[in-house]
Amino acid sequence: MFELLSPEILMSIMIAAVGVATVILLAAMGELITERSGIWNMGVEGTMLSGCLIAYLVMVGTGSPVMAALVAMIAGLVSGLLIGFMTITLRVDHFVTGLGFNLLASGLTLFWFRSYVGGGKPPSYSTIDKSAIPGLADIPVLGPILFDQHLLTYIAFLSVPFIAFFLRRTTLGLETRAAGENPQFLEAKGLSVSNRQYSALLVGSALTALGGAFLMLAFADQFRPDISGGRGWLAIVAVIAGNWKPVRTMIAVMVFAVFDSVAVHAQGVGVDVPYQFFLMLPYVASILLLVMIRSRLGQPAKLGVPYLRH
Amino acid sequence: MIEIVPRKSTGWHTQVAAYLVALVLGFATSALLIKAGGASVAEGFGALYEGAFGSWEAVLQSLVAATPLIFTGLATVIAFRAEIWSIGQEGQMFAGAMCGYWVSLYLGGAPLLLAVPIIIFAAMIGGAFLGGFCGWLKTQFQVNEIISTVMLNYVIIYLLSYLLAGGPWTEEGSTSYHQTPVLADNFHLPLLVDGVKLHLGFILALVAAAICWVILKKTPLGFEIRALGFNPTALRFKGVNVTRTVLVVMGLSGALSAMAGVSEIFGVNYRLRGDVMVGLGFTGIIVGMIGGLNPIGAVIAALLFGALANGSLYMSVLSDIPPSLVPAMQGILLLFFLSASVLVRYSIRIKRFTHV
Repeated sequence: MFELLSPEILMSIMIAAVGVATVILLAAMGELITERSGIWNMGVEGTMLSGCLIAYLVMVGTGSPVMAALVAMIAGLVSGLLIGFMTITLRVDHFVTGLGFNLLASGLTLFWFRSYVGGGKPPSYSTIDKSAIPGLADIPVLGPILFDQHLLTYIAFLSVPFIAFFLRRTTLGLETRAAGENPQFLEAKGLSVSNRQYSALLVGSALTALGGAFLMLAFADQFRPDISGGRGWLAIVAVIAGNWKPVRTMIAVMVFAVFDSVAVHAQGVGVDVPYQFFLMLPYVASILLLVMIRSRLGQPAKLGVPYLRH
Repeated sequence: MIEIVPRKSTGWHTQVAAYLVALVLGFATSALLIKAGGASVAEGFGALYEGAFGSWEAVLQSLVAATPLIFTGLATVIAFRAEIWSIGQEGQMFAGAMCGYWVSLYLGGAPLLLAVPIIIFAAMIGGAFLGGFCGWLKTQFQVNEIISTVMLNYVIIYLLSYLLAGGPWTEEGSTSYHQTPVLADNFHLPLLVDGVKLHLGFILALVAAAICWVILKKTPLGFEIRALGFNPTALRFKGVNVTRTVLVVMGLSGALSAMAGVSEIFGVNYRLRGDVMVGLGFTGIIVGMIGGLNPIGAVIAALLFGALANGSLYMSVLSDIPPSLVPAMQGILLLFFLSASVLVRYSIRIKRFTHV
């Protein structure tokens, strides 16, 4: 147990945590925008999984991580479009839609992957390299943790203040929030609620799929069924625990990421507690977090309520 | 711009027609999948049909495959009717199987007539406890039940993984199989037909469906469940203890899911292992929803999906199509059914786009 507390291991845990956080953070920021527009998207897990598979297929096909990430984002847009069609246009219950979409994504990705592989061994590739920021990466302790990461990790963390600014200070951000708080008001101003919701959902789903692509490209060299392993769900929990605020959501994401990273290290170091108990940590933490943080003040008033035009 | 306007009323024939269209579209889309995978559609569906209904034995085998789906489907019906979106069927099924196995360790040479009811009881308690726990988190701490059930699914699966991979229940000398030793004969659910593993669980599943139907239609609890989904505030004003209803619903749903675990472990495999149960809980959600959140509908949907699952094994032997076609088909069918269930309630108008 105490092997995990040595300085080298702790350092390694933190470095890995910031990397792992990227996946959940991208999805959480996407879900944050989506939920602020009033869509309670429960299809995050399925969208992320689709992003993983598409990124894998494109990476194997072209060898280009940029291409893999871009096509994965397009897959995210397609997912968002389908979820939006069900929730915004057809007004199916948001929870039911999300659950249905996750089951569809789980089945389709499995079938596609198995058909692709046939009877053989799944092709693999080498994971992408980190890009250290010159100068900053040499700072003791903080340097390797914060400034020797993947490009997308920097982008994900920079997106937090950017999204906070977007939601607070821009017209479009305000309109997006109005769609979630008071859609009648938006409508009275002659603005379309469904346009704002579709936009938020599409951007959110693309970010989620990008998170999935990053999981594939940075941490795994080949796809396996349900590789997203609940990280999409953790993103949803992070948004709730973060009271629908970007910075707090990021903090919640970091909690999960540290536990996730501890679990991986516990397996590697060979701790005498069975590793399965470490693997449970992020999931147990997510429930505890929701039990402890009970304020739902930031929840958009019309979150998950299908909007019927008058 | 497509706009959807509520319709005054729909006859039953419109609904039946909509569901049939959804079924046809679902199968057509699945045919496209097979085509995209480079296999012959006729061959694929032919093999699927042959495997599911080709012989008397195949039909019985399809019923065996449908049995756990009836249980997890009913678990979905009970919870979703109350608009409690529990997706813990998977974890509760595992928990049920684990509790059943756990008590069987203490039953030694007990006669079948004593051992099997005790195992079933213990399993249902285990599932009910896990479901009830999520209900408690919901009523006490406002923890969304979708989140708590998803997270506990992962926790339970890792717990089983520990118990079977080197943990106390692992069969000696076979750590890599992740399974327990074979169960003694007196723990097996009795078979109904010689030669096929159609077991007592199938009868119990039908009984459970009948009980669920009676509960929902004829009892005060059923009224509370339906009202909880419809208007919880009104229910509270009527003096109903909503907290208690949520706990009962989640407990009942968990106990039903647990029976799926019992039927797979004590009726079919005769040893506890995780891989034989994977996905049966999630498929149950699809079964419940396609069954229109109605116990009889869920049984019909479970029979269809049981047949598909059974047929897919035969199909994968005869053709290059992987058996994972079936989960994909189930997801596709679900989305078509969901859309159909909404579309019958609305009429569609194509409108000029007016808003920005």
